[in-house]
Amino acid sequence: MIVLAATPLVVGVLAGLLGGRLGRRLQPRHAVPLLTGLALTVAVCTGIALSGLAVLALAQLGPISRLGHWSAHVLRADAGEPLALGLIALVAVVAILGAALVRALGSIYALSRAAYHARRLVPAAGNLVLVDDTEPVAYAVAGRIVMSRSLLAELPTDERRAVLAHEAAHVRHRHHLYVHLTAMSAAANPLLRPLVRAIGVGIERWADEEAAGAVRSREVTARGLARAALARDRTPALARSRTPGLAATDSAVAERVRALLDPAPVYRLPAALVFAGGLACWLAAAAVTWRTDELIQIAERALLRR
Amino acid sequence: MASRSRGALEREVIACLAAAGRPMTAADVRAELSMDLAYTTVMTTLSRLHAKNAIERVPQGRAYAYSLTGGPATARVNVVAHRMLRLLDDETDRAAVLTRFVGELQPGDEQLLTELLRGRE
Repeated sequence: MIVLAATPLVVGVLAGLLGGRLGRRLQPRHAVPLLTGLALTVAVCTGIALSGLAVLALAQLGPISRLGHWSAHVLRADAGEPLALGLIALVAVVAILGAALVRALGSIYALSRAAYHARRLVPAAGNLVLVDDTEPVAYAVAGRIVMSRSLLAELPTDERRAVLAHEAAHVRHRHHLYVHLTAMSAAANPLLRPLVRAIGVGIERWADEEAAGAVRSREVTARGLARAALARDRTPALARSRTPGLAATDSAVAERVRALLDPAPVYRLPAALVFAGGLACWLAAAAVTWRTDELIQIAERALLRR
Repeated sequence: MASRSRGALEREVIACLAAAGRPMTAADVRAELSMDLAYTTVMTTLSRLHAKNAIERVPQGRAYAYSLTGGPATARVNVVAHRMLRLLDDETDRAAVLTRFVGELQPGDEQLLTELLRGRE
């Protein structure tokens, strides 16, 4: 039982440690949904497995067993787990749910505020918004693509096209959702925190690949990336937005440029490993649920027989 | 030539006019974007943008010269919302409301990127 309940935790540790590395050996457009799915799976299954332990512990308490008409004594003998462990699981489940809820509300709040401000932007045409900013910036927000005139002036036409295609890819594939879902999973299960950065870099790589496809040149895309990054670096720090405090928000320019110019071979094994990890989590969660139910039924029958 | 969606081509034309900062004829736009584009495609896109009031045109010789309707004025209007968005992104740096094209460079990156631009141009 304890082994089963620990499976999602073990997969979580492995996902946190290896997830980023596995992701780099896949196409970004596959890696991002796979790793996001794995993060959600680990978070949900950890919750289910710990809930199983918590239910077993609570069911052993006198008042609850009288209410449910089962034998606390038989349950205690059969469960074979220390009561304290179940109570710890209970606290953990409450903490997980709380953290995930807080993070989800935080995401919704931040995204709706962003959408509110994004609606005030006046597009030049379609969803392209031009702004005056000494810092050369480009970003996607709430379905809009924002570019500063200083960045437009900095880039040759083909690289400009790559940047536009990159941002359009963010909008088209709703990349922010992957970031938010992974961040929520990581709030519920801190073991998954390294995946937040992996997904952050992953969506940039995904958009880079789409841009390279649109302009039919990995090199033009890499040059646009390099030029935009250097131009941003040259603007006085005062004008620049604050240095992101967390690695999760850095956009790994050098890594992306290298990946464009020197594409890493793509394998199937990492995808299989991610699937296997996810499957193991679901099986363990199902087994814990089934076993909990079975133990309580046995305890019920024991009371009836008496 | 990779096919562009209608929206993508419109964005490219707008970005081209904004970067040039001067009125351009259809031939200018085509020369700037790509000679692989059919002249009629560029013409159609410009007409569509003009119909949507995104660009304005003045006769120039036998053709029209196009420029952005809002131009710098709109870009200035947008500055307030843009600043709010960046503040929001900074304060909720883990909430990631913006997907930025480039972020902070790590030490050593600068040299690598400079070499890339110099070596491959």
